[in-house]
Parts: sequence; C-alpha cells; structure tokens
Amino acid sequence: MNEDQDKLIAELVEKGLAGDMEPINEIEDRVLRSKAKAALVKAKRSAKPQETEDHVKQVSDKSSIDDKSLSENLNENIGEMVNEKFPGSLVNENTETHIQLAPDHWFEIAGWLKSEPSLSFDSLQCQTGIDIGENTLEARYNLHSMKHNHCTEIRISVSINKPVIPSVEQIWRIADWFERETYDMLGIEFSDHRDLRRILLPDDWEGWPLRKDYQVQETYHGIEVPKMKEGWE
Amino acid sequence: MGVVHGQEMVLNIGPQHPATHGVLRLQVKTDGEVVSEITPYLGYLHRCFEKHCENVTYEQVIPYTDRCDYLASMTNNFGYVVAVEALMDIKVNDRVEHIRVIMAELQRIASHLLGLGAFGLDIGAFTPFLHMLRDRERIIDLFEMTCGARLLYNYMWVGGLSHDLPVGFVEATYKFLDYFEPKIDEFVNLLMHNKIFIERTADIGRMPKEVAVSYGVTGPNLRASGVKWDLRKDDPYSIYGRFEFEVPVGEGGKGSVGDCWDRFYVRVCEMKESIKILRQALASLPKEGDVHQSLPKKIRPPKGTIYKRTESPRGDLGYYIESDGTNIPYRLKMRSPAFTALSVIDEIAAGWLLSDVLAILGSLDIVLGEIDR
Repeated sequence: MNEDQDKLIAELVEKGLAGDMEPINEIEDRVLRSKAKAALVKAKRSAKPQETEDHVKQVSDKSSIDDKSLSENLNENIGEMVNEKFPGSLVNENTETHIQLAPDHWFEIAGWLKSEPSLSFDSLQCQTGIDIGENTLEARYNLHSMKHNHCTEIRISVSINKPVIPSVEQIWRIADWFERETYDMLGIEFSDHRDLRRILLPDDWEGWPLRKDYQVQETYHGIEVPKMKEGWE
Repeated sequence: MGVVHGQEMVLNIGPQHPATHGVLRLQVKTDGEVVSEITPYLGYLHRCFEKHCENVTYEQVIPYTDRCDYLASMTNNFGYVVAVEALMDIKVNDRVEHIRVIMAELQRIASHLLGLGAFGLDIGAFTPFLHMLRDRERIIDLFEMTCGARLLYNYMWVGGLSHDLPVGFVEATYKFLDYFEPKIDEFVNLLMHNKIFIERTADIGRMPKEVAVSYGVTGPNLRASGVKWDLRKDDPYSIYGRFEFEVPVGEGGKGSVGDCWDRFYVRVCEMKESIKILRQALASLPKEGDVHQSLPKKIRPPKGTIYKRTESPRGDLGYYIESDGTNIPYRLKMRSPAFTALSVIDEIAAGWLLSDVLAILGSLDIVLGEIDR
C-alpha cells in the first residue's frame, strides 16, 4: 500500500465515522474499497472498546447503510473480528470465499457467531465433510442468518490420523444429525457430541465410505457386499 | 391428585409401517399413552447417493437426484442444475427458465397434494386422500405428456431441458388450473375445517420459531411457525423475482402458531400461490427459444466450491458441490429439507400422546428417500 492510498483511506474513514458512507461506496476499485471499509470497522471498534452493552445496542440499531457495508465484506469483517477475539484461530488470512479456522476454539467461536448481534448466524444451513487429500479431512459449515439474510462458510481442517473437532450441536441443534452424518461418512470425531453414533449406515459397518482411500468390506454378516463399478468415462 | 408413573415401555413404530412415509423406525418410550422420548433410526433406504456421485459424471447425477425425493423429482433436478450452472456460469434463455418454473410449481402442487392427503390418512381420514390423489394424477399426466415419465423425470439438464414443451401443453395446463382452483376450497371444507380434523391437529405439536430455526427446519414447516422465509422471495433464483406471490405463514387459525393445523394450512395456501405463479409464468412464456441452446458440450466446471439452495416443496434443498476441474464431482452433498425436519421430532413430539406423534410426523411431510439418500 502506498502513501497516497493510506491518506485517502484515512480521509474516507473520517467521513465514514461522521456517518457519510457515500465516498467509500463510490470507490471503483474493489480492493481499495474493502480496505477502506475494513479500516472503518477497526476505527469504530477502537473508538468504543469497553462499552459492551452500548456496543451491542449500537450494532442492532445500525443504519441500513452500515448493515450493507458489513454484508458486502462479510467474510473479511468476520475474519478480522475472529482474529481480534480469538487470536491464532484464523488459519488463512485470505477470507474471500470462506473462513479457515483452527479446531481448538471452534465451540467458542461458533457460540460467538450466533450471539454477536451484527452477525447473528442463527441457522446452520449445511454441514459436511470432505477428504481433500494429503491426509487431511475438512469439515465445512454453511452458516446463514435469518435476521440479516447473509451467509458465510467456515472450514476446519484436521489430520486424518487424529480427526477431532469440537462439536457445535449444543449451539445449532441440527448439528447433532449433521455431525453424525459426517462422522458416519468420513470418520471425523466431534468431541463433546452427546450422541455420536452412525446415522445412515449400520452401527457395525467398517470404514468411512467417503474417504478417498475407502475399501469396501468383503462381507457383512455373511452377505457379500457388491463392489462399485470402477468409474465411468 | 398425585401423578402416577407407570412402567416405561419401549415401542417400535416401523420400519414397515404406513404412517412412517417410507421405511423409518421410531423407537418411542411410552409411559402409558404418553410418549416421553423418540429416537428415530434412519438408513433403511440409504442408497449411497453421495458415494455414487463421486463416480459418475455431472450429467449422470441428475437421475440420482430424481430418486432422492421421489415425490418432487422436478424440484430436485432444478436445485441440482441451478447449482451446477452457477458453478459453470451458464445462463439459460428465458423460455427454459419459464418452463422450469412451471414444472417446479406444478411439482409443488403435486407434492403438497400427496403430503396433505397422506397427513389426513395418518389420522384416519381416508376419503380426502383419494380426492387429492385424483387431482395429483392430472399433474402427473402433464409431466408424462412433457417427458414421458410419470415420477422420475430426468427432465432438467445442465444448461437446458431434455425436451421442449409438447404441442397443447399450455392449454392443458390452463385447463388443469381452471379445474383445480375451485377444488382447493373443497379440500378446505373436507378436511381443514372438519371438526374431527381440527380436534386432532389444532394445538398439537407446536414448534416455536426458535426451535425451528435451531433445528434447521425450513419450507412450509418453518413458515407454519410464523417465520416468513421463502427462498423464492428472500434469495431469488431462476426468474422467481419476476412473479408476484405471497408467502403464507402460520397464524394459529384454530389453535396456536406452529401447530399441526398450521402446517396443513400453510401448504394449502401455498398451492394457491403456486397457481398464481403458474398463471403468470404461462402468460409470459416466450414463444421462441431453443431449450438446448446453452447445453455445454462437456460439463467440466472450473475448480471451486458452491453451496446453492433452492426452495423445494419440503424446504431449502441445498447442493454443496466441490469441483476439482474434472467431469466428475469431487464431493457432492445434498442438504435435504426432510432430514432436518425429521430431526426435530423428538423435541416437538415428546410429551404428546402416541396417536398425536403420528399426526405430528404426518404434518412434517417427510420423504424417506431424501432423508436416507
């Protein structure tokens, strides 16, 4: 970032703090605009660090323009807020399409994502797991807010040798079944899940079918298991 | 009077039981007639949908989506093709969009008819079921006319449709709508305002808003709880933004908001709204337009991920697709609305009588093919 840009952003942030969002919204350059908005969010936060109650009120009373600015750079803003509240949890600074988190504080972060009024992700739309190769499994969460009508995607990678992720079934109740399905298919263990059993396959099925190295078991209770066809052109 | 606690009894409903709408086992703990806990056991219809998808090409997935929710195959196709098109950045022409909307709304009516009929059947009303199946048959005839199949259509393709509309389809659909519109009032009188039906459903199995959202319940079940949320309005896909229609929500007409009666009521209202959409779509259907115009020669989406939701008759139907740049999906997950709807059963049905549990289960309108995939 060069000095001119710095200056420009400082100016814009000042205007934004005074309530005039138009100059920022008018910037053509996407990168510059998002930088300005990020700076504005930071400035706003540092202006009122302690008054939590007031802050909450302020956020929920935000004008529509402010809401829009949050939604436009939603991932970026969430990324920054996570970085501030839970240092070290944000694995990848690039939050363009999704937010990559470390598993350690996932339960706390999830609770915060749901309760933070400016985000209020009250609905877990979809939860899935994926074997991305190189001995890594990934759990993915598609979150949605009924209140603000915005979405984001959270990803958490774990090693295939120790695939443990904190469960969020007590935050979003549907995670109960979603996590059971992910456990069933990929063998990702969700710690502190109150009822982690297989859901679609029988309890005594062997292996994790959606892992890329999955081998179908030969027989199941004496019945031969039919083999899958080896790909199609 | 003191409370008498009898001995708890564990009872299995299903797997083969007509009221479970497929093959589902509910293990209920009962204390006399009162149900204290329900544990659903799924998987009897598991056909490895997601594993299969990792071995077939993108085109070949479409027939599989038919078989997930076999009562709403059109909308299942629709959701999938919309997702893949968004991944590949394909735009289809207006005629295709209109035909898709027409098919999806017809399918919504057909699915609701069966759902409502089966709901009545679950609580002992046999006649309405036959009335509703009779009318559903007419919609199925329209589908048969279009693509030859009556249940599993494989009609919507990525970038287009398998066939254009046949000659006479528009007239036949108008004729059906003219016939069907007054019939809705018949159902209303036959079932919805029937005293016995009201006794069995009003105030039974209330689902509060917060519970519904937390359990990811969507579609008519969520709207019956008073949440005005419809993807056709709130996150419009295809050309739904162009049509005027209302989103009906439960108002607690006979009891309280979010009871079984409301779930019935919302579905009936939705059929009326679908008719509105159908009339608008038929009126503005472009005469010109090749339904194969945007078909890609090879479906090889660029590397990337997409999660796309559409409004199926049962709620938010999401497809999560991870593409690695080949013609085979690297990972495909279907987020089925019936799956989330069933997960709430223990929360809302515990504490009710055994006979109410079946009413609640019927009111959720689940399809096991979609739950087990």
